[in-house]
Amino acid sequence: MSLGANSGTYLDQFPGEAKVIRTAFYSSFIALGIGALMGLLQVFHRLDILRLIPSEDYYSYLTLHAVLLVLTFSIFFLVGVFTWAVTTSLDRGLEDLRYTWGWYGLMAVGTLMAGVAIIGGFFDSIPMSAAVLYTFYAPLQAHPLFYLGLALFIVGSWLAGLDWFRSWWAWRSENPDERIPLPTFMALTTTLFWIISSMGVAISVVVFLLPWSLGLIGQVDALLTRTLFWFFGHAVVYFWLMPAYMLWYVMLPKISGGKLFSDPLARVVFVLFLILSTPTGIHHQYLDPGIAEGFKFIVMVNTMFLLLPSLLTAFTVVASMEHGARQRGGTGYFGWLRALPWRDPVFAGMALAGLMFAAAGFSGMINAGMNINYLVHNTWWIVGHFHLTIGTAVALTFMATTYWFLPQLTNKEIWSKSVGLAQVLLWFVGMTLMSNAMHRSGLVGVPRRTAEPQYSGFDYEVAAGSMAELNMQVAIGGTLLFISTLLFLTVVVMTVWGSKVDTLPANGYAETLSGPEDAPLVLDNLKLWTAIAVVLVVLAYALPLASIIGRRGLFGPGGSPSPQFIDTLVFTGQAIVDSAVGVIR
Amino acid sequence: MSSKLQREIGHDEFDPKGTLALITIYFVIISVLWIFMYFVEFLGNDLTVVGAIA
Repeated sequence: MSLGANSGTYLDQFPGEAKVIRTAFYSSFIALGIGALMGLLQVFHRLDILRLIPSEDYYSYLTLHAVLLVLTFSIFFLVGVFTWAVTTSLDRGLEDLRYTWGWYGLMAVGTLMAGVAIIGGFFDSIPMSAAVLYTFYAPLQAHPLFYLGLALFIVGSWLAGLDWFRSWWAWRSENPDERIPLPTFMALTTTLFWIISSMGVAISVVVFLLPWSLGLIGQVDALLTRTLFWFFGHAVVYFWLMPAYMLWYVMLPKISGGKLFSDPLARVVFVLFLILSTPTGIHHQYLDPGIAEGFKFIVMVNTMFLLLPSLLTAFTVVASMEHGARQRGGTGYFGWLRALPWRDPVFAGMALAGLMFAAAGFSGMINAGMNINYLVHNTWWIVGHFHLTIGTAVALTFMATTYWFLPQLTNKEIWSKSVGLAQVLLWFVGMTLMSNAMHRSGLVGVPRRTAEPQYSGFDYEVAAGSMAELNMQVAIGGTLLFISTLLFLTVVVMTVWGSKVDTLPANGYAETLSGPEDAPLVLDNLKLWTAIAVVLVVLAYALPLASIIGRRGLFGPGGSPSPQFIDTLVFTGQAIVDSAVGVIR
Repeated sequence: MSSKLQREIGHDEFDPKGTLALITIYFVIISVLWIFMYFVEFLGNDLTVVGAIA
């Protein structure tokens, strides 16, 4: 909806907040540029097209690429998006901008510290490195600066979430009988599961990895730090994805010329993500010895339940686009697709991102299945999968909506919509080639996280096509993605350099066909959903963690023994889980 | 966008049959892929069994 009383662009309405969001976006884009360059160099290195550095330094490329793109690019962008969403939908500024700059500063300093530690790995003269990959659990060890930086970054993101809560609390005291506006509801539910899930990685870093890297403790348990990492490591993908979902719900219908099909369904989806995001992490550990099959089975069931909110989203978002298309004169079962604004880079980018996400849904189901996962575990298939999710559904949505946000934040017109359209199309084509080839390579066993996946006396047996063809697709796809990133950054820089105009559309978001008045009140009960989320996390994690600590101690074999009561707890829990699995089978 | 709108469609008049058509196609695709997976997993390779003691 457009805001009547306070119309104008976002910059006109909230100049102070617009500055924070702009700064967060620019930080995000710098990370995108460096991360994309690392991606291109990795492709060339792996395929043996160009090896600029020794292969042992490849893992610093990989760490920089992953940390800068999945943590820095995505999280800096999403704190900007959620700040926009909360202030716009509550129609009020943040409570205290000094506090807001404070959390931005923490995140920026944290990123710099982690980045310096990683880049140190490229230079012999700098005595630090952090080639621990984005999945930074033991036994790989980084310089303490890396862990400290990550801890600051995560605390900064928690404080950002608190900022949005403060706005909502203040608004609620003035509007006690109103429903939470949808964009604010989405920001708050996302914040809640982010705080729950990132507790795992916070404990892993603060209690184990940081003291270990500082030499305060002699050893840590690899399995325990892996499990704590994945406690966070799967939920974090929904932290990236939820802002993209929010933009599909509140922005895409408006750009399509229609209204959001259902506000209640959107709320249900975000509640489901709040309760189901975290108790699923062990599905990344199906092949880890040391976690019983029964626990893995429970986690597989939770993971499959997560398909439900994604399928609800597919329905609601496509129906909202269809509403827009039919209002624009579209007809027929498929003819309405032609009435959509495909020449608008904002629409085209978001719609293509959604299409890629549908494909990612299938490979995600393969990853989530306990038996089928064995086929693709630790292969390039997984890398192909998450380049469709975070690398396209999220990244392409963020880039496409930048073409809407940037004018709102600067009062300047996008430099070239045609270049913007070419950019989003290029990303789609590049990712189609690269991701398809990565999936197929994974099926024949090409490993991930490997600098030189070429072996003497061994050839991969490709069922259709050849390895040369697959490698060619990855090389061309990776190059197109890098060019697309350069085009995106060019449009951003040229837009920011442009001059201000006063013909921009007003800030706002999509209206609804079925509004919050149709949604049961219980959906807005955040305390209830948080309590259920915590109970599910305890059910999924208490016994596996107790089992790991009970058998191996807090610091692994040879480390400190654990209290005896844990063994009893684990024995009882294991018996219950085994009989439950027996009944189900 | 509103300048391009040709008509206003309300909640009760809107019948998202195009969405139904697209989602049906998606379900057909993932069902076919699910069946195809059987051939990739079990017929294209040796069985992926872990934990067997030689």
